[in-house]
This record gives sequence, structure tokens and C-alpha cells, in this order.
Amino acid sequence: MSSSGKGWNNSFDYSFKILVIGDSGVGKSSLLLSFISNSVHDPSPTVGVDFKIKLLTVGGKRLKLTIWDTAGQERFGTLTSSYYRGAHGLILVYDVTRRETFTNLSDIWPKEVDLYSTNQDCIRILVGNKVDKESERAVTREEGRDLAQRHRCSFLECSAKTRENVNQCFKELIQKMMEVPSILEKGSVAVKKQILKQRELDQPPRQSSCCS
Amino acid sequence: MVKKRVPDWLNSSLWSSAPPPDDERLLRYASKYAAADRDEPPATDPPAPVPPPVIAREEPAGATKADNDDENGGAESPSGEEFARQAQLLAVLSKKVINVRELRRIASPGIPDSTGVRPTVWKLLLGYLPPDRGLWPSELAKKRSQYKNFKVEVLTNPSEITRRLDKSTSCDNDESKFQRRGILKRSEITHGEHPLSLGQSSIWNQFFQDAAILEQIDRDVKRTHPDIDFFSGDSAYAKSNQDALRNILTVFAKLNPGIRYVQGMNEILAPLFFVLRNDPDEGNAAAAEADTFFCFVELLSGLRDNFCQQLDNSVVGIRSTITRLSQLLKEHDEELWRHLEVTTKVNPQFYAFRWITLLLTQEFSLMDILHIWDTLLSDPEGPQETLLRICCAMLILVRRRLLAGDFTANLKLLQHYPSINISHLLYVANKLRSKPSG
Repeated sequence: MSSSGKGWNNSFDYSFKILVIGDSGVGKSSLLLSFISNSVHDPSPTVGVDFKIKLLTVGGKRLKLTIWDTAGQERFGTLTSSYYRGAHGLILVYDVTRRETFTNLSDIWPKEVDLYSTNQDCIRILVGNKVDKESERAVTREEGRDLAQRHRCSFLECSAKTRENVNQCFKELIQKMMEVPSILEKGSVAVKKQILKQRELDQPPRQSSCCS
Repeated sequence: MVKKRVPDWLNSSLWSSAPPPDDERLLRYASKYAAADRDEPPATDPPAPVPPPVIAREEPAGATKADNDDENGGAESPSGEEFARQAQLLAVLSKKVINVRELRRIASPGIPDSTGVRPTVWKLLLGYLPPDRGLWPSELAKKRSQYKNFKVEVLTNPSEITRRLDKSTSCDNDESKFQRRGILKRSEITHGEHPLSLGQSSIWNQFFQDAAILEQIDRDVKRTHPDIDFFSGDSAYAKSNQDALRNILTVFAKLNPGIRYVQGMNEILAPLFFVLRNDPDEGNAAAAEADTFFCFVELLSGLRDNFCQQLDNSVVGIRSTITRLSQLLKEHDEELWRHLEVTTKVNPQFYAFRWITLLLTQEFSLMDILHIWDTLLSDPEGPQETLLRICCAMLILVRRRLLAGDFTANLKLLQHYPSINISHLLYVANKLRSKPSG
């Protein structure tokens, strides 16, 4: 147990932070549950932020994904802004059966996504969820694709319920992240350790005054 | 090195070895209700004593299951202290005019489930019932009829209102009648009320705005305690309970346009309704929806600021409440505080936002929540201060694991808090009332 912290760190090569945003009830948490634990059920509404971990290997590299599942309701907006900091990937989710969830997403894009992402190269993917309810569809696939193109990001439609395309969403995002050198560098555990070491050398061992 | 300011009691045998009398039950406690899995009949409960409300939990700790068999006899029987508390509680409640101060004191460590008085005690603690028992029948009748009227006003759809309005304007403007009813106070109703009218004051416009909130409420009610039969599933009982939650939240949202509905209110409402709906008194159980509404209003009046986005950055908003938790921890356990916030950079907002705004309802099982709420509602200072002490105690109780953990491990632990002995948690929280010495 005592060395679990260290063992944990050594067990992967890259650590990525991924943020999931979108209106309340579009299925953000369900999408994550479906991806992480293969389970399909309706979770309680997210209040504040929920935090999930997934370890996986891609192209021989061991990855640790730290996924921040945010609350969808507008009321939590003032808090959401602080979650963007340092994110390497962003998943923007809407519900293909509720048009307002799509328009809200295109509205917040310039106001929130572009404003708060501190990471210039942050990879984004637009995801239309609930395609299992094809008869209730209110947003066409083309509209989704257009919005994604306008913001130069990937686009997929999926269903957290049937798990159709769920893994694909994450695969797509991860592949993109691993193609960008600056993200790889930021997510690299080896680089982080070096920075940490450097800081320790730079700074006198005394505790700096706290300011959080 | 910073001098550690860990109070003596923190390092005492309190949590390392055998803490207070009943602590050997630590693990068993959590599974006390785990094995139960039947559908509670609605209003046909035997008058008293009430069986502990039934909940199916997801972790039915197999190893301790045998203990549930002798729930009424062996290890689970109330201790002498608990018996004394039961007797005291019943004595206080039997007085013609109830001494609420005394009641708070006795109820604070927890109301024994077997007494069946929790609904009554909560109503008293929340100020919904007056201390004078003689006033109860009239007071309850008044409130219940008031709620009935709220429902008629709020849950009526616009076509019904316009229809009535047409009728009223045609028969000589009986405006005062509508004024009194309170629905249309703020909107000037013109003859042109019409679903396509774009006027801000249009009741139809209002209706469409409301529809979004109603959908939100509906979505959340359906996913409130999805693992508990009382709230979820296809039974008529669960459906009627969901209807009640939906009605209460809708009426509240409409009567409080400044807050309306904020996600998580469903979680705060659920324990209140659960307790009141399981009142052994059938009349009270049948009127649970109305009673719960007023109790919910009382409870939220002390917590409203946490739900208000405009106040997030003010001195009364949620951020400042979280900062107070952080200060409380620093005061009582600086080493832990430093490790969490400075070393591992776990911003308390990441876990405490939910702890505080939801009064811990998503952190523990429903039975444990009821126990914690006995303490929260008993505090004459109001629930917030007690809540912060309990949150701080939750951190301190897992301090060893936190001190050994990094950012990920710690956040994971705090977002999925382990099940613990609630009596012990409340005991530790109560200890935090006094300033640490030294």
C-alpha cells in the first residue's frame, strides 16, 4: 500500500486530462460509464464535477486518462470554467433528440470553450448522443458535422445506451491527442518528473506561502 | 518544517484502535439494512413501532450478513444509552408544549429508528410544527389546504387559465379573484393571450419557459435514488412517490422565481419525503407531500445561497462556504490540510461542492443520511455549521489514506467516500466544536 503512489506513477507513460461538457441530461455521465465500466444505467445528476480514471494502452504506450465529468445545468457554469485548466482533450456532448442541447453547445463554444481552454492545442471532439432514439431525432447528422467542421474538430454520433460508437469517440480523441507533439509533451510522465526535479532544485526546500 | 497542530484527541486511540462503546460494529453498521429487499406497503404500516424503512443497497457485504438475522436481538439491539435516549425522546414529545431546545439536545446524536417518531421530530426541528401540540391539528389543516391551493395555481396549464380569464373578463372583470389566487399578479393579462404571442408577459411565453424547467425536474426525479424501490421502478407506489417529488419541486420552482429549480434539490428533497411518507400515522403519511413541501422550504431557507449562482463569489455563496471548510481543516489538522491543498493540489471545490450543496446525500446510504440529518437538523445554529464540521471530520477520519495518496488517489477517495460508522463520524464532528489547543 505504501508504495502505491509510486507504483501508480510508474505504470503509465502518459497522463491526459479530458473534460466532458454539454447540457444537463445529454448523457455525459452515461457515456463515461459506458466507456469505463461497460455498464449501461442512468446515473444520478452530476452536481459540481465527477472524476473518473481509465488506464489503457494505445500503440504500446500506457495511458492514464483523468476524465472530468462536469454538471450540465447552467447554474454550475461559474464552477465549470475552472475545470478547463490544463485539459488536453475536450468532449462536447449533445443529445440528438433535443435540439436545444445542440444550439446551446454552439452558443457556448466561443463564450466558454475558446475562452477557458488554457491549452492552445487542446483536442476537441463533438459527440451527438442517443442515436438509439432515431425516431425522435431533432438534429441531423449533417448539422453536427457542419458545426464540427466550423470549429475544426472531430465529430461522431453514438449511443451510451447501446454502446454504439462509444469506444470510438475516445479512440478518436486519444489518437488525435497522441499526434500532437505539444500535448504528448505536456502529458508525458517523464517530462513532468523532470520539471518537478528541476523545481525542487530551483526552490529552497522551505514551504512557499500558500495562496489557494 | 511546519509544526503539526494535531490535537491530542486526534492521535488518541479514538480511531486507530477501539473508539467509543459501539465501535466494534463499524463494518456491520453499514450493512445493517443491506439484506432487506421488499416493497414497503404504502399507507398500511402498522401504527408503531415502525420497522426501519427498507432499502436495497448495492453492497450487501456478504461476510456480515449473518448479523442481520438477529437484528432485534443480538449485537444490533440498542445499547442502554440508546434506550435511555428513546425514553427521553418519547417523554419530551408527550408534553403538551414541547421543549424544542431539549428535543434538539436529545435528537442530536440520532433518533432511534425503532421509535417511529423521526417524522414528527423533523417537523418540529424544522419549525413546521409549533411546539404546542394543541395547535397541531389546525396548523396542519391550514398548511395542507394552502399547499393544495398552490398546486391548483401552479400546475394549471395556460389554456385553462385563458379559458377562465375569458370567462372572468366577459363577466365583468373579476380581477380581484385572480389577484388573490396569486397566479397572474405580475403579468398584465390582455385580451390577446395567445400561444404565439411573443410578449415577455405572455402567460404562454412563461409556459414555454417553465416547460424547460419541468422537463429538467422530470429527468432528475426519475434518476433520484435509482437503487431504492421507494423511489424507483415500475411499482405504482414508486410512481406515486415520484409524482409527489415532481409536484413539490415544481411548486417550489414556480413560487421562487429567483432560484427556481437547481439540480440537486431532488436529492435534498428525497430524504425528507422518505421520512414523512413512512410516518406510522396513516393520516400524516397520506399528507406527506404537503408537509414535505413546507419542510423543504424551511430547510432550503437556510441553504438557499448555495444554490444561487449570482452569489457564488459572494461572502454567503458556496465558494466562501467551501473556504470555511478549508479553514476549519487547517485549524484542526494543518498537516492534512497542507498535504491536500498544497502538496497534492486537491482543490476542496472538487469534492466539497457536492458534499455541501447536497447535504451529503450522495456520499452515504439513505439510512446513514437520515442519521446524519438528525444531527444537522438538531443544531440550533442551523445545518450549515454542523455540516462543515461533519465534512471536516470526514476528511480527518481518512487522514492516513489521504496523507499517503496523490492527487488522483485522494480525489477518488473523497468522491467515493468509504462507508463508515456514522455515530463515530458525528462524535468526531462534535469534537470539532472546540478550538484546538496549542
